[in-house]
Amino acid sequence: MKRWIGLLCRWAVGGTFIFAALDKLQHPQAFATVIHNYHLVPMPLLHGAALLLPMVEIVIGLALVVGWQRRGAAFWAAGLSLVFMAAISSALLRGLDISCGCFNTDGGHAVGMSLLFRDLLLLAACLPPMLMRDSGPEIDSLFRQ
Amino acid sequence: MTSHPAPNPGRGFWPVTLRQAGVLLAVAVGLTALVWAVRPDRLPLVADAAVYELELAAPLVTPAEALVLFDDGDFLFLDTRPVDPGTVDTISGAFTLRAATFDDDLRLLTDIFLPEDPLLLFGDGDLSPVSNLAARLQARGYENLVILKGGLADWARAGGETTPAETGGTP
Repeated sequence: MKRWIGLLCRWAVGGTFIFAALDKLQHPQAFATVIHNYHLVPMPLLHGAALLLPMVEIVIGLALVVGWQRRGAAFWAAGLSLVFMAAISSALLRGLDISCGCFNTDGGHAVGMSLLFRDLLLLAACLPPMLMRDSGPEIDSLFRQ
Repeated sequence: MTSHPAPNPGRGFWPVTLRQAGVLLAVAVGLTALVWAVRPDRLPLVADAAVYELELAAPLVTPAEALVLFDDGDFLFLDTRPVDPGTVDTISGAFTLRAATFDDDLRLLTDIFLPEDPLLLFGDGDLSPVSNLAARLQARGYENLVILKGGLADWARAGGETTPAETGGTP
């Protein structure tokens, strides 16, 4: 039973990250603007972040779905969830009225407490794949045989 | 696919997790570099502060997006550079609307498009004067405006169609 919970969490987190990355990959300029609106990333690093972040999301999303480097992928997913929560909290504290840019770069959900709760759920879902010994069928198991 | 349990969390947990995280980061960096290299409308690695710090009067479109708008034929293209029509290369079919002769140019264009028509403004790549012109158009009721990022040079680099100086734009 526990392994199926792990598998469900893997697929939920992986699917979320893949879905979140698709629009950002297609529109890097728009995503750079979204990141810039948070006023957290220095200008010289802005485009690097806009290019790299969606690819990290895609890679860890796919890794979680297929079960490749599962713990590392869950570790990244948890880390990114924490970073997203910190960015959203910072925007809320500064009273910024901006869109979160979580799933699309064209408007989208405004930053708010509900996003923090959603990211908290995402963070919680990262823990089983990271900590559990067995989280269902995975590609990694083929290489351990 | 048969499931074989991974090692127990505890001893060796962090080395394994961090090694895997490193592998995934390396893959992501490699793929990012690859995608960036093959993309025709690639983002410059270093951001131009003017693009982000300037409060633009209308949204920006990349040359690749502008090419799609050009092909769709819904948008009219307006050349905002302070030059006489026909004396410089311009985007094919573009009309001229200059800051210095704004009222005269706009009067000539009112027979060609209506305030609700979608317009794409471009210049020589400097966004500030184009944005100022967009604001003036908005004040006259033109609301459906976008600005071409990178101006004519980036348009041409992206493979956009241009008309040479001799046969330049109208009016």
